[in-house]
Amino acid sequence: MPQGELCNRKPIVTDEQLKLTLSDKSGKKYYAEMLELDVDTNALWATIQKTMKARLKTWLEICAHCGMCADSCFLYQVNDCVPEQVPSYKIQSTLGHIVKKKGNVDNEFMRHCMKVAWSQCTCCNRCGMYCPHGIDMGVMFSYLRGLLYSQGFVPWELKIGSGMHRVYRAQMDVTTEDWVETCEWMAEETEEEWPGLTIPVDKQDAEIMYTCNAREPKHYPEDLAEAAVLFHVAGTNWTVPSEGWEQTSLSMFAGDWECCKDNVNHVYDAIERLNPARVTGTECGHAHRATVIEGPYWAGREDGLPPKPYIHYVEWLAEALREGKLKIDPAKRIKEPVTLQDSCNYVRNQGLKDVTREIISYIVEPGYFVEMAPNKEHNYCCGGGGGFNGIGMYREQRNVALRKKMDQILDTGCKLVIAPCHNCWDAIRDLEEEYEIGIRWSFLKPLIIGMLDIPEGMRVEW
Amino acid sequence: MFKKILLATTGSPASFGAARVAFDMAKRYGSEVTIFHVVGVPTKAFSHVVNDVRTGEEVEVDEEYLAWVEEELKTTFAKQFEGADNAKIVLTTGVPAREILREARKADSDLVVMAASSGENASFHKGYPGSTLQKVAKAARCPVLSVHRESASYWGGFSNILFGTDFSKQAESAFKFALSTARELDCDLTIFHALDISGKVLDQNEIEENLIIARKRIRETYVPLMGDFKNYDIEVWEGTPYVEIVKLAREKSVDLVCLAHHTNELDPERARIGSTVEQVILRANCPVVSVSKPDKV
Repeated sequence: MPQGELCNRKPIVTDEQLKLTLSDKSGKKYYAEMLELDVDTNALWATIQKTMKARLKTWLEICAHCGMCADSCFLYQVNDCVPEQVPSYKIQSTLGHIVKKKGNVDNEFMRHCMKVAWSQCTCCNRCGMYCPHGIDMGVMFSYLRGLLYSQGFVPWELKIGSGMHRVYRAQMDVTTEDWVETCEWMAEETEEEWPGLTIPVDKQDAEIMYTCNAREPKHYPEDLAEAAVLFHVAGTNWTVPSEGWEQTSLSMFAGDWECCKDNVNHVYDAIERLNPARVTGTECGHAHRATVIEGPYWAGREDGLPPKPYIHYVEWLAEALREGKLKIDPAKRIKEPVTLQDSCNYVRNQGLKDVTREIISYIVEPGYFVEMAPNKEHNYCCGGGGGFNGIGMYREQRNVALRKKMDQILDTGCKLVIAPCHNCWDAIRDLEEEYEIGIRWSFLKPLIIGMLDIPEGMRVEW
Repeated sequence: MFKKILLATTGSPASFGAARVAFDMAKRYGSEVTIFHVVGVPTKAFSHVVNDVRTGEEVEVDEEYLAWVEEELKTTFAKQFEGADNAKIVLTTGVPAREILREARKADSDLVVMAASSGENASFHKGYPGSTLQKVAKAARCPVLSVHRESASYWGGFSNILFGTDFSKQAESAFKFALSTARELDCDLTIFHALDISGKVLDQNEIEENLIIARKRIRETYVPLMGDFKNYDIEVWEGTPYVEIVKLAREKSVDLVCLAHHTNELDPERARIGSTVEQVILRANCPVVSVSKPDKV
């Protein structure tokens, strides 16, 4: 059968189509249609020939099947070390097979690939560190996801996710009006306690332009208010763009390459329009990876960099603390065992391991910080990365995946976990709901606000 | 002044008192009442799946589910809906406090009416105003009226209003609200200050001196603002403020207590309304309105 009404090779580009797909409960019709979806083998092979470059070809060729990657993969570890979860097997038996067959694969095989690509790999890139040849299965799975997406074999939620980006330019249905309105609302709600606080929209030549995750204006706008408080206390000349404020990219997880490029260009346009000295985003890992690490390549920027220096929130925060723009009251520092979740996307992908620990050194009483083992660039994925958190069909597999993080946290003996990444935060919350180990979790912003040494007169006490 | 009432409800028995007051007000004063219900907090990483507020189970929010919830609410409040021409139901998903605030702002509501707690886990929650009320009371631009107990003295109209003051900045807004309500609805207004002597050792002369000072302060602060409004009296008692407020409310058959909201806690999870307001909400026989902002008064 050719294309389904909901499950097909076309991306979602209209609000109508988006709502129609959303109204399909649990993607029941969508997945039923997928069973019948034909594979355009010619197009698949043509795409591979056009897009698969030397690095991936070499990687597929030179894999020695040594199995060194096996233990590096947390999914292999939590799934009883079955051979099907060995990273090199996972990619060779999917992408490797498609390439070997020159794209001549059938529907059943594509559905198998979808399952492996979205429920057996979170693109955390840990295996790449342990491969003697430096082969990174996370990168290859991202590529495979693109091929699958182009053929319509993508989980229902991620088809919707990238559709949201295409229709609303945000991962959720937050329009420009909603966003600007939220900025006004949060400024109103916060300015009474913090006289002089504003959330300036579209201000030219600011010191910092701030971008965020659409989940924040949609459900947790206080996160924006907290960012505003910290910028205000630090005396930062900052702004948010009315358009191009959404930094996340579910399209990256969905493998919708065209949309990835569009997302990031939208943010870059805002940077060029407002000309800030620097840009920073919210506490989110994949958003940073999409906009700062991978984005420049999608956008075809020759220097491989965004238009202006684009730092992660932890970098901005560490700098503000280091330079004394934000002062911590020593009496309010954390005085209980606390651990830190390293986000794969900005720690392994951009090396921001030390700067997060610098923040810890300001906010935790010496002796109370407990590292997870392993940590920094060796740390494991939270268990819900790469879109895994959001896919209903693979919820069971995701819950198994959370066990690694649970064990790591339990081993620290800490009840408080700092998670400066939205996705890790979600995963850790979920693991507490699922396994009830009695922990709390927090972003950095509310923690820091609670321990600030606030200059006289800056905050009105009620 | 109560043109638009936002009744935020879980639909559970804990909110029946609040619903009764909201609908009574709407009928009596010709207000528009919106029954606002958050069907659940988005679970995990995607927003169209929520935990149902009653069962706690994960459900997908689709038209069928929304229609079912709406039907449930209509059945729950069937009696109240009778004769309420200007009532509608609005459903949404999200974090309850945030969505109530969003709706109140969007609809430019004049009053939010809600229960003190959702009533779940009665043994724990009954003694405390829930976090949703805490957060809404802290940030709402309009007065927030809460009904904790099925009111004994409240028969559907306001005729006696008690305004309790601690002379704070917020109390000015609460006073304005109390006065304009009293004026508009032709009520008696009692302006009250409780001299806080809890945990203190004071001699009788000192207490009496302070009572005189407080009385004078009320006269100087509030009387000039009342113009030709004469239906008021002033009371100053000593004791533990919330106890005295509740006692006076009972003695005078008050049907609305109006207080200012205070908190200096930033974290909305931990933000308390202020111990006096909180205790009065839990103990008073009538609805209690908390006012924290100068708008809508």
